[in-house]
Amino acid sequence: MTGTEAAAVPTRRLEWQPAEVRKIVVETFRVKSLLLHIPDWQGHLPGQHVDIRLTGEDGYQAQRSYSIASPPEDELLTLTVERVDNGEVSPYLIDDLRLGDQFELRGPIGGYFVWTVAMRGPLCLIAGGSGIAPLAAMLRHRERRNVRATALLLYSSRSLEDIIYREELDAMARRDPNLRVINTLTRKQPEGWTGYRRRIDKAMLAEACVPPEQNPKIYICGSTPLVEDASRFLVELGHSPLTIKTERFGPTGGLAS
Amino acid sequence: MWLWARDACAVRRNHDGSTGVWVIVTFGSRSRCKGTTSMDSPPISRGFRSKQQEQTPQNRLPPGQYVTAGFPVLSAGPTPQIKVQEWTFALQLGGTLLGKWSWAEFESLHQTTIKTDIHCVTKWSKFDTTWQGVTFDDLLKVAGLAEPPAPYIMAHCDGGYTTNLPVADLVGGQGMIATRYEGLPILPAHGGPARLLVPHLYFWKSAKWVRRVRFMDKDEHGFWESLGYHNYGDPWKEQRYDGD
Amino acid sequence: MTENGSGLFLDGNAAASLLQKIFVLDATAAQIQCEACGSTGAVGSLRLYAAPMGAILRCTNCDGILLRAAHTPHGRWLEMKGARCLRF
Repeated sequence: MTGTEAAAVPTRRLEWQPAEVRKIVVETFRVKSLLLHIPDWQGHLPGQHVDIRLTGEDGYQAQRSYSIASPPEDELLTLTVERVDNGEVSPYLIDDLRLGDQFELRGPIGGYFVWTVAMRGPLCLIAGGSGIAPLAAMLRHRERRNVRATALLLYSSRSLEDIIYREELDAMARRDPNLRVINTLTRKQPEGWTGYRRRIDKAMLAEACVPPEQNPKIYICGSTPLVEDASRFLVELGHSPLTIKTERFGPTGGLAS
Repeated sequence: MWLWARDACAVRRNHDGSTGVWVIVTFGSRSRCKGTTSMDSPPISRGFRSKQQEQTPQNRLPPGQYVTAGFPVLSAGPTPQIKVQEWTFALQLGGTLLGKWSWAEFESLHQTTIKTDIHCVTKWSKFDTTWQGVTFDDLLKVAGLAEPPAPYIMAHCDGGYTTNLPVADLVGGQGMIATRYEGLPILPAHGGPARLLVPHLYFWKSAKWVRRVRFMDKDEHGFWESLGYHNYGDPWKEQRYDGD
Repeated sequence: MTENGSGLFLDGNAAASLLQKIFVLDATAAQIQCEACGSTGAVGSLRLYAAPMGAILRCTNCDGILLRAAHTPHGRWLEMKGARCLRF
């Protein structure tokens, strides 16, 4: 069961539900997507996230939040997980989780960092690393709903091999002349790379982003420095802060050091 | 066996385009609603385990805790970048300064090294941690106080964090201002240059970036104690929350 | 209680499930004004600290605490004296 209407925010209260792993996709050497079946899933909006909870045999529990990477049009729910070294949960999800395994999940959560096709106008998405996940949900939703308004994705990754969903995003851009996907590779670039080769900065945003006069809806998701810098630059370039929505990703202080 | 509070309140969200609602929040307002408790048997995640040490002598582990080999960082705010040349530590009673030390002065006070277990309310415990610093007893002595001047203290820290304690839980070697962890200066993320250390209580009482200890005649709630956490915090009685 | 929230989030968006148990309307989309410096932003865009003990949301301009919330087995706690107002 999927919800696709912008106004139909699920109203049931948050409860833990079992999620079963139906498919595992290797995205990069550090990143996997988990496609989950949740029996009573009521749908979600692109940009929302879920909480997951793992319980060990000794009763120990750990909880984390992950953005939903799949659009509401999909049957299965996709979470894209990056393996954090010395992390507690992501190494389990990446290294140990198998098809058929279950864990608890609750959601969808969040009404701020949300975009649907009902929100008209140009769309400007800025991602760093695994911050692409909620933005991918938005782009996938946009494509499934056949929306043709201008959209831009500016995506910062360390290297070509680190670009998550690379083939899919390139194919999406080839199919849709109104979608531009611009990658910047900050650490390592392949031979002959003509694209950006630095962190997202004001000049890059000025060149790449939809100009403020067109009043784009802007979503930025990535590490705190990327998010805070990009939003500051965009405001300096004339975008209204009300048009910019942010979601910071990163390991919290709860991880063992 | 786990007891969890379940939502007792229904949650509704309006997204029908109705006009915004202004909510003015006044100083000191706090709202609180009760949840109900219920039993939960969550599905076991095959193969998932906490990061545990080889041996976990159960009589060293307070109820509900899990041993960790790491040292998780939890902070209520950004890590203050403190320069020791500008650092001072003070004991205070009302408006009176009972003692104040610069870093150099503090370092020249009698130092004590202890090895102890620490227990965080978020359920991790760490065994055999070594700390060095100045015990509360030695601070009282050096300040010329034969007796603590009041029964309670509030610790005040860079960044604004506070926590309250009975003085009875600081004396007799139970508390110190620590400046070294495992022989090295405490890292800023872990409370350096100096943190309070009161290891027999949950670790939120071991206030990071401590700068001032203020004696109080009456107990007052600190940062977490005023937000639903237990006023005392004995891990052996599992006093995590107000109401435990 | 291991409200161990967020391996990957660092802002008010991660506090959404905690706030959803307190506010009827989605709090992360609400605009909140800092009492100390007057700047306004969405709750979801505030800097989050202290998960898993609770949610401490701080102003991105001055780092002042705008909202403190904790969910314990005995009740939900909310304190917002650092916020001048909240608009849903």
